[in-house]
Amino acid sequence: MDNRLQAYLDGELTLEDLPLELRARAREWNALIDDIRDASPAGAPLGLDTRILAALDSAGRRARPAWITWLLRPRLVPVPPAAALAVLAGLFLIVTVLGVPGGDAIPESRVYVQFVVEAPSAETVQLVGDFTEWQPTVELEDADGDGVWSGRVPLLPGVHEYMFVIDGSDWVTDPNAAGYQDDGFGQKNSIVAVSPVSGT
Amino acid sequence: MVKPDARSDIRNVTDADLVREALSGSDPAFGELVRRYQDLLYRHAVRMTGRGDDAEDVVQSAFIKAHRNLGKCRDPDRVGAWLFRIAANACKDFLKAKRETVGVEQMPGLPAPDGDPEREADLGRVRDEIERALAHLPAEQKEAFLMKHVEGWSYIEMSRTLKVSVPALKMRVHRAREELQTLLQAYGS
Repeated sequence: MDNRLQAYLDGELTLEDLPLELRARAREWNALIDDIRDASPAGAPLGLDTRILAALDSAGRRARPAWITWLLRPRLVPVPPAAALAVLAGLFLIVTVLGVPGGDAIPESRVYVQFVVEAPSAETVQLVGDFTEWQPTVELEDADGDGVWSGRVPLLPGVHEYMFVIDGSDWVTDPNAAGYQDDGFGQKNSIVAVSPVSGT
Repeated sequence: MVKPDARSDIRNVTDADLVREALSGSDPAFGELVRRYQDLLYRHAVRMTGRGDDAEDVVQSAFIKAHRNLGKCRDPDRVGAWLFRIAANACKDFLKAKRETVGVEQMPGLPAPDGDPEREADLGRVRDEIERALAHLPAEQKEAFLMKHVEGWSYIEMSRTLKVSVPALKMRVHRAREELQTLLQAYGS
């Protein structure tokens, strides 16, 4: 197929940009696409949502024993004022003796991790991962223009999943990652394992 | 069952809040997500599978998978794209399993005849040829072609949703067009 026709169909050229002989082909493609669109239903058939929710209900509820459902059900429990005071007094005693759980815990140290990726033709490279809630908030840099992008990110110890975003749209897996994790939907995330800093 | 006033309220809730509520166990919240996105998923599934009942099965399995994995939805503001990706993968799995042998004569949802039998016959023949050609495309090419041309996605939106690079998606669409052109010329000859 002519590259100009491909470019028109990609939205990169207008009909007027094409020579006359290709305009006719472009119109045929537009008609074909309209035909495919017209041959499709406008939306889901009536009652599909009900059937989906019923299937979910039977799949989920049957697996959960009735007593667990009963325990998890929110309910109001009337408490006499005297009983409430007794509970509060008991809590005060426990907190005084044992301290607030985690109240004097040392904050977990973050570890700087260097991310590097080779992307010679990239204009921008961003790092996304569970530590950025998969938002492209970390920009990698290629200060010397050699096509190798890098950046240091403070991470909590543990296993993290990440990917690189090239030019704001291409999500790529790190070819040099320590491991890979199937995200469950046909793609793979890169894995980095961060060890805790040894004792100070 | 959600009361009418509660249903009205939940329609104004953002996708991200619906995800959070569904994760905390709210069935009405997940039900609203189903209602919001079932049309989008179903239209794609019908075009991919070529059959309404297969599309229903695919969409239902996609929502069940999404419900079980909702905690993995990394960007609740874009839960629609996440749901679409699950359904799109389910469609491709379905087609691969069936070796893309979907019959075009069972394509659902064709518009009713408008009263001109000759015109309808021509239109029906053309659509049959298109559906036959689409059914022969590899699943990834068919998906990319339908998303780009029939469903109106931009390459960047497709890239973010499918996690495939823009150049790779363009290549799939270009190959789909070339394949369709060859197939349609063969049918027409």
